[in-house]
Amino acid sequence: MSKLSGRPPAWSYWVVLPSFVLLWGLIAWLLESPLLPTPLHVLDTLMRESASGELWHHLSATLGRVIVAFTLAMLLGTAIGIVMGRSKTTNALFDPMLVLLLNLPALVTIILMYVWFGLVEVAAVMAVVINKVPNVAVTVREGAKSLDHRLEEMATVYEFTRWQRFRDVWVPQLFPYLMAATRGGLALIWKIVLVVELLGRSSGVGFQLHLSFQVFDVAAILAYSLAFIAVVQLIELAILQPLERRSSRWRHPEAAHA
Amino acid sequence: MLELQIAGRSFGQPVLGEIFATIERGDRICLLGPSGIGKTTLLNVIAGLDKTIPAEAIIGREKLRVGYLFQEHRLLPWRTLNANLQLVGATSQEAEDHLANVGLKGYGHYLPDQLSLGMARRAALARCLAVRPDLLLLDEPFASLDPVMAGELKILIAGIMDVNPGMAMICVTHDGGDAEILANRLWYLDGKPARLQWDDRIGSEPGLIDGLLGRLRRLDLAGS
Repeated sequence: MSKLSGRPPAWSYWVVLPSFVLLWGLIAWLLESPLLPTPLHVLDTLMRESASGELWHHLSATLGRVIVAFTLAMLLGTAIGIVMGRSKTTNALFDPMLVLLLNLPALVTIILMYVWFGLVEVAAVMAVVINKVPNVAVTVREGAKSLDHRLEEMATVYEFTRWQRFRDVWVPQLFPYLMAATRGGLALIWKIVLVVELLGRSSGVGFQLHLSFQVFDVAAILAYSLAFIAVVQLIELAILQPLERRSSRWRHPEAAHA
Repeated sequence: MLELQIAGRSFGQPVLGEIFATIERGDRICLLGPSGIGKTTLLNVIAGLDKTIPAEAIIGREKLRVGYLFQEHRLLPWRTLNANLQLVGATSQEAEDHLANVGLKGYGHYLPDQLSLGMARRAALARCLAVRPDLLLLDEPFASLDPVMAGELKILIAGIMDVNPGMAMICVTHDGGDAEILANRLWYLDGKPARLQWDDRIGSEPGLIDGLLGRLRRLDLAGS
């Protein structure tokens, strides 16, 4: 039935993850080791950090860096992707550079930025942006290559302004690619931001993980990680999914009229 | 108002040969010819879509507003009909008026993909009119429509031309019957590379165009 209707039953989302948490709890309870705290212990740590305000301070520091780096990377990557997708010459010129940057380990960029510019905020954010821009550019380039030439001709005949062409012709076609870049980008960026913070900042989730690592405080490590996963999930549910539903409404128009 | 001095156009092999012609206001040209001969190519050249043709080859186009009805509707599928018309410069109220003119009164909030083929083509025609064109280019406007819908669209277009005597039209078609209803001038494109084998005004004697087309097509057979 569920195969036919194409929509899995609601309970199916609530099987594997809760079972995993139960299993984790069981093993932790049997081992009784501080290196594997129980889920309740982690929750307790989370509450304590939250009550003291520490959690919010570090969470917002990390979130701030993620937002700034994400915005810059998306803007730059989209611009580069569109230009490379539209012009074969530009693509040929910059493609080798793009491949190089794609394969440059995040850690190398972070270290180089810190070495060259010092342990400052700008260096931290720049390192993240440099890591992310190539991914966005590659994804958007695919979209820009597949823009419908028939609509391009239409826009030319009807003398669309550059802005109209961008907003009304290109963005709707690029939307699935931008969405893919956003999803992948958000996940990647916050992971890189943690490394950046661990190596050279004195605030943020990454910094807190660094402290916990030094004293082997596994409960705190898990509490901070889970807190940030929750934030990313919240962004997905509160911003990305509604945006996607709104923007792809035209694909499923109600009741075709014929 | 428009003068064509096209030296030729090739895609690997020559498709269009030299084409010289002038288009005056009020001209209603039907462009006929065998399929695949380059009628759409010529229309694209006139519309300025062909970047390999220098702008000097089509004298007077910069000053003209062109409405182009493509074979597909080419409305933006993510914008309503009203928004599609507003994008080419109409106000919301003008957009509704243009839609009403083509028999789509009250359809402004529909998305193009919610319409049937015939309605979508009429909506695209409304967009052509929304730019207040000096020159209307129609690429096979009656293709894949059933005879009733095609007939209605023919009458609609003829009516639009009657209301706007200063407007010129070039309509690609393969049916001499279309020309009898719509045209006051006939272009026949044929040959390798294709040239205008016939360019003349036509009257309204019935059967004239069919006889003419018969002769032109036989000419082609004899030549090949």
